[in-house]
Amino acid sequence: MISKLLAVSCLAITIVLASCNSNPEDQKSQEVLDVVDSTASLTSSVAVTEEHDVSYNLPSALQIAYVFKKSGAGFVPSLLNNKANASRYNTSNYKRATNFGIYSADLAYCLFNKKYQESKEYLKACKETGSFLGLNQAFESDNIAQRFDKNITNEDSVVKIVSNVQLKTDVMFEQNKQKHITVIAFAGAWTESMYIAMEVYLKDKNKKVLGSLMEQLLLSETIIKALKNYNDTEPELKDLIASIEKINAQFNLIASVKVAMEKDEEIDFNSVSITDEELKAIAESVKTLRSSMIN
Amino acid sequence: MKKIIKPLFSVVVISMLMAFQGGDVLCNSKELKDKAQDALEPYKYDSSELTRITYKKKESVKEVEVPLFIGEKYRIVFEMEALPKQVEVQIYNKDKDSKNRKLLFSSKEMGDKKEFNFEVSKTRHIYIDYVVPPMEEGSYHGCAVFMVGYK
Repeated sequence: MISKLLAVSCLAITIVLASCNSNPEDQKSQEVLDVVDSTASLTSSVAVTEEHDVSYNLPSALQIAYVFKKSGAGFVPSLLNNKANASRYNTSNYKRATNFGIYSADLAYCLFNKKYQESKEYLKACKETGSFLGLNQAFESDNIAQRFDKNITNEDSVVKIVSNVQLKTDVMFEQNKQKHITVIAFAGAWTESMYIAMEVYLKDKNKKVLGSLMEQLLLSETIIKALKNYNDTEPELKDLIASIEKINAQFNLIASVKVAMEKDEEIDFNSVSITDEELKAIAESVKTLRSSMIN
Repeated sequence: MKKIIKPLFSVVVISMLMAFQGGDVLCNSKELKDKAQDALEPYKYDSSELTRITYKKKESVKEVEVPLFIGEKYRIVFEMEALPKQVEVQIYNKDKDSKNRKLLFSSKEMGDKKEFNFEVSKTRHIYIDYVVPPMEEGSYHGCAVFMVGYK
């Protein structure tokens, strides 16, 4: 009897010691994963545990849309990614993340243009692509859908609801040690926002939209650095980085940008001059990148 | 003998389980971010970053680059209560490898406060440096959180 108890004790101690070796954050992550949709396909994801001495905090799709709205960018519904495509993107972490970002940008664009019915539909598309990434809980807690419906004509309230979803998804990615997914999703959101703003500018030729567009292009450098921190996490990242590097190089070749960079000056994008050829080249690169993400 | 061993065994196993259950309770990102969000009001949530800090024998710096947009007003809230030893927050206009960078903010002005905020506009980038003091005994670690809001 005593020997049996000793054996059980040893087994219990071994289990406890083994659990002690695992990272407590991993345990929390597992708890989170346990409560999210069991159908979420996270099996191929890479847990990123490395901490870097320099990291990058990227803005939200909502803020980018807000900046464009303030500059007077109009609403062109045909520019949005078809929400019916959402179910097609459950093929790889890269596809899930980029298209989650793309739909987030579309949702923000609808929201700040007071297109509330469309906003509701794009919130659904975000929820669907989010579920592929294990984010069900972020969209289902706090009666988000009902609160969204109830406040649908109150811009401040719905923006706050969507901001809270953003915060929840940020926390969940962090707890799941999937910080790299946040960066890839932002690359998707940024690409979609650039695509929409380019097309809107080419249609309306609003100088303020051009100024905002140039300012957002400056973000390309930070996105590249952020993606490079997670270079080995997903196989598609090499091509994504190369595509954004191309856009960044085209932006840096704009004569007035080049001069300001050489002088290490803050650029006043409202007075920046850009030729049609320079803009067309950047627009083509953005369009190609977006097309590779959504198709 | 049996009467003694059974309860003793239970006590030993339960005690060990309890001892190891505590874990890294300091780095609960949800709890830290919930607190930061309260201090962000009335600004809208934009983004946030949790930085894990390990104390080393020498002073070290962890830097976070934060791109901003000119014309927007920002509030940046820091939640430092998950750090066992004071870490100084410095905010600069350029990264740590740049010469002639300008210090915009230092948490030294805040004394021992574990929560504080900084408001900024008219700049495209800020660089948040966590200056981690040396710790002879090593192995201490914790988390710092900041949250960016705009209006």
